[in-house]
Amino acid sequence: MMHTLLLLGLNGLIWGLIIALIALGLSVIFGLLDVINIAHGDFFMVGTVLAWFTLEATGSFWLGFITAPLIGFLLGALIQRVVIQPIGNVAGLSIVATFGLSLILQESVRISFGPTPRRILPPIQTTIPLFGIEYEVYRLFAAAVAVVALLGFFVFLNHTKLGTWMRAVRHDRDTAIAMGIPAQRIYILTFALGFALAAFGGAVAAPITTVDFRGGVDILPFCFMAVIIGGLGNLAGTAAAAVLLAFLEGVIQSFADPTVARIASLVLMSAVLLLRPQGLFKGLVR
Amino acid sequence: MTGRAIIERTLLGAFAVFMLAVPWLIPSLVNSFWVSLIAEILIWSLFAASVNLLYGYIGLLSFGQALYFGFGMYGVAIGIDQLGLGFWPAFGLGVVASTAMAFVTGIFAVRLTWHYFAIITVVFSLIFYFLAVTQKWLTGGDDGINFSLPPTFSFGGTQISFTSGTFQYFFILATVALCLWLMQCVTRSPLGKAFLAVRDNDVRASLIGLNIYGLRLTAFVMAGFLAGVAGALFAFFGRYASASYMFYNVSGEAVVWAIVGGAGTLFGPLVGTALFIVIRELVSTHWEHHSLIVGVMAILVVILAPRGIVGLWSSLLSRFIDRGDARAVSAAGKLRTDP
Repeated sequence: MMHTLLLLGLNGLIWGLIIALIALGLSVIFGLLDVINIAHGDFFMVGTVLAWFTLEATGSFWLGFITAPLIGFLLGALIQRVVIQPIGNVAGLSIVATFGLSLILQESVRISFGPTPRRILPPIQTTIPLFGIEYEVYRLFAAAVAVVALLGFFVFLNHTKLGTWMRAVRHDRDTAIAMGIPAQRIYILTFALGFALAAFGGAVAAPITTVDFRGGVDILPFCFMAVIIGGLGNLAGTAAAAVLLAFLEGVIQSFADPTVARIASLVLMSAVLLLRPQGLFKGLVR
Repeated sequence: MTGRAIIERTLLGAFAVFMLAVPWLIPSLVNSFWVSLIAEILIWSLFAASVNLLYGYIGLLSFGQALYFGFGMYGVAIGIDQLGLGFWPAFGLGVVASTAMAFVTGIFAVRLTWHYFAIITVVFSLIFYFLAVTQKWLTGGDDGINFSLPPTFSFGGTQISFTSGTFQYFFILATVALCLWLMQCVTRSPLGKAFLAVRDNDVRASLIGLNIYGLRLTAFVMAGFLAGVAGALFAFFGRYASASYMFYNVSGEAVVWAIVGGAGTLFGPLVGTALFIVIRELVSTHWEHHSLIVGVMAILVVILAPRGIVGLWSSLLSRFIDRGDARAVSAAGKLRTDP
């Protein structure tokens, strides 16, 4: 019993770290562009599919770690320029547009990849004994990759010129433009980065989950929960909330139905929205 | 009467005649399947109207209206299948359940606005979606509940029920028309004007003494009522209720229909819903990837006509008709002022 609990907790932790990557993309897009991105789950799904295609085409899984975020970045830039920019930041319209985007992405994948879910075998086949079972090393490796990517993103955001510009545009758009920051290009960069993060998360998660054109549907509410519970715009909080939520769901799953775990986190989320709409961690971080 | 009013009255009259003639006209033009398709469009457009009442009139974007649709649906299905109710009590149960649910969740939800409101509504609907999926003894889960429909009216030996396609169509048409008419009455009343004031600027509205929270809750309960009626009608229509209709993509579709058709207009949701469902039916028989077209269209409309199709139509009307009217009026004025 203790072993199952630890195991599900560990699974939750690893899953949470990957979700944190995706939710970070969602939070960046929301914070800077004021766009509620319904298609974000599908950005993740596109990542898993790109990993699968890369594996099929080249025989190398690891190449997917480069192609998925790269193609995601380009697609994101394109989408921002063609779809999001003409709309402006009218919440209702951006929801409709990203809903349409979500349909287009899902259907395109269904055409090109096919409707049947497939699995990618873990590229690291070795297992180690952990809590009484043979645990896949790839899962641990995926968690490490996610942590590195998360840290890398925070370094980018806080210590590079582009990252500073992103924060500046978010903080005060008009002043940033007056200072000569190309806000329009920063918007494109932000959306592209958001897509790239989700696609990278997809590539990392591909051997753990299934590759399916509807793979984003379940991810989306979870990412929103992480963003809300962590506090809108609070990136570190989002990452922490994703890990916390997935860990909690993992633990609850050890003694109850997975759906019960999902309901529990949804109830937690409503409570946070109503009682602490600024997020759980405001005041703790910083 | 201005040229614009004449055009709109004529169109409305033609539309009403068409809707009344559907059970006889459509089978001779296409086939009788399209009669039930039009009935389905009517039901879904009532559902889209509930999104529209919130977004178009009071400025709250609900992404969880499927919850109230589902309550209307399950109210009917559980009422008939498990409680053994007749047609009207089951209808009442569905509508009351969804309206009450809208009141209870609204108490919490309308404390929030904008993105937070959109998110809490989808969270509430997801909670009950997952509950409905797990509580199989009550809801049948994803498989749903199938039931056979009791008669709507029975006079002694004669029974009138949904087994008659024509009766089913007119019952749905009458109910939807009644609901839309009620909604029109509300939006034209002082209460509706107060809704618009809250939508346009809630701070200013509160400064002239409007109770923002009360108004938002009222609109939310009314929208829950509309969604509940739509859900109950859909249960009668399909003799079926399922948890899958409570998932967030159902709410999302209604948002898309309402906004693409034209938020803040009475007929916008109807136009948007009809457009998407007709396209689905026309294309899906030839090409299975019809949602590609739906996605592209949603994006195109939002970019090219942000006020929706009805908004586009009325701005076209004002460009071509009202300008002519204005010229006529000013010419008439000139004539009169001439000595």
